[in-house]
Amino acid sequence: MSQKPERIILYVLLAFFAFTSLLPLWTCLMTSLKTMNDVIYTMPLQPPPSPTLQPMIQAFDIMKRPVLNSFAFTMFATIFSCALGSINGYILTKIRFKGSGTVFLLLAIGIFIPYQTVLIPLVMTMSSLGLYNTIQGLILTHTAYGIPICTLLFRNFYEDIPDSLMRAAKTDGAGTWTIFRRIVLPLSPPMFAVAGVFQFTGIWNDFLFGLVLARGTEALPASVALANLKGTTTAFWNIQMAGAWWYALPVAIIYLVLGKYLIQGYMAGAIKG
Amino acid sequence: MEFTKDKIATLLIFLPSLILVGYFVYASIGWNAIVSISDWRGLRPSYNIVGIAQYVSLSDDPVFWISLENNLLLISLFVPGSLLLGLFLAILLNAKVRAESTFRTIYLLPFALSFVITASLWAWMYNPSIGVMNSLLEKIGLGFLESGWVTDSSIAMYSIILALIWQFSGYTMLVFLAGIRSIPESQIMAARVDGASSVKIYRRIVIPQLKLSALAAFVVLMVFALKAFDFIFILTAGGPGYSTYVLPLMMYRETFSMTHFAYGAAIATLLFAVVMVVVVPYLYVSSRRRKE
Repeated sequence: MSQKPERIILYVLLAFFAFTSLLPLWTCLMTSLKTMNDVIYTMPLQPPPSPTLQPMIQAFDIMKRPVLNSFAFTMFATIFSCALGSINGYILTKIRFKGSGTVFLLLAIGIFIPYQTVLIPLVMTMSSLGLYNTIQGLILTHTAYGIPICTLLFRNFYEDIPDSLMRAAKTDGAGTWTIFRRIVLPLSPPMFAVAGVFQFTGIWNDFLFGLVLARGTEALPASVALANLKGTTTAFWNIQMAGAWWYALPVAIIYLVLGKYLIQGYMAGAIKG
Repeated sequence: MEFTKDKIATLLIFLPSLILVGYFVYASIGWNAIVSISDWRGLRPSYNIVGIAQYVSLSDDPVFWISLENNLLLISLFVPGSLLLGLFLAILLNAKVRAESTFRTIYLLPFALSFVITASLWAWMYNPSIGVMNSLLEKIGLGFLESGWVTDSSIAMYSIILALIWQFSGYTMLVFLAGIRSIPESQIMAARVDGASSVKIYRRIVIPQLKLSALAAFVVLMVFALKAFDFIFILTAGGPGYSTYVLPLMMYRETFSMTHFAYGAAIATLLFAVVMVVVVPYLYVSSRRRKE
């Protein structure tokens, strides 16, 4: 019985933080369903007195091409970086070679580098390859900078596969590549889910690479389009908030449906280092 | 013969990654360092080596010191703020809470969103005339706390920090909660049998064992505090004036708006050096720990 007040305080605190966590998203949704008149004359948290889909439709027109662009490069870069990460993770854990620890350390540093340090060479490289302002350029960029974290994720996973499984295959004369295909890959789907979800949201959410590499319409990513929208519709908060929903939608769906994989990715990225 | 063929095959499948990372990470860092000692200004590349001239002019540039100060402010407020709030949330959630996974999902949600989205949301939250913060403060009778938020240069940086703690505390909660859950139940049971209070159990048993979780989260937050760009660029673009400039933003501005490439490269090189001071010891320590 004496525990009761404590439990009430606990749930009040939990609810308070849930409220603050959701507050900006709630007001974003409400604002995106309001006319400009309601945006100005009603409380931002209040539901729209006269709901309208007009801002959503207007924002959709502006965001649809960039969202498709983002889908294109995010999908391919996710697939490529996960594939390479899986191969690297396998080589670094199951084929011991001299200096593999150093190679891993050099790869791991790539996870943390501030991308400002490589922006100038990156822009120069992409324009001399003719990949400036192209989807392909973004795929190449996100693949290259995705390799370090994907390698880390797969390495942590493959370390837990017992070596005895491989030794048996080796004595049967199977080569490195065969062992990877026959033994390692069939065990990997859960890890591809973790790395895939992690990479997809990370690349989808990127802003900096899109900003310096693809400001033209042909390859404009949704993140940069939303930032532009903020500049061109300064006072039209309803359209901006509607645009934010269109850009957030894919990641929000992934978060709600595949959240447990995303959480594993966050944890592996941080704890195991 | 079969053995060497296999080795060559292994090298061949490893090679694409080595080339990509070698070029886009290491060669690019070197290339940037060379630009930083050149006199490249304007759209046409120039590799006239002028030594440390850019670094010398940086040290005379008040904007550089403002930016550095703001990065340090992020380190001294955003990092501990996110760690403490995350720890607090983890402790709350560890109290056998009903619907724990729902709360966890809600707390972590902001962290999954792009900074472009969260910055847009906070621009609206902080709008001085019709935004949420001021309307809400007025409504609950705290109207005297109303302010210009990101439009007031004296508190703009603190407003940014508050919003970033909002976004990151769910992540630190996750890390701490996993840390708490990895402590053997028997230790806590034993203490409880001895009559220790919850506060005492946390202080004496749980929190001391969260050192590794705290270290991992600390490094991630530190690196972010140094790299922070997207969120600030979109929310304030460094303004009002230079009040919310940080080093990555200054680098971007100098390079891509002012086309002062050598100068931007010098800022980037310094930034890289500082991040490595944080990251390399951490990677070294954690790779040593794995071997044991």
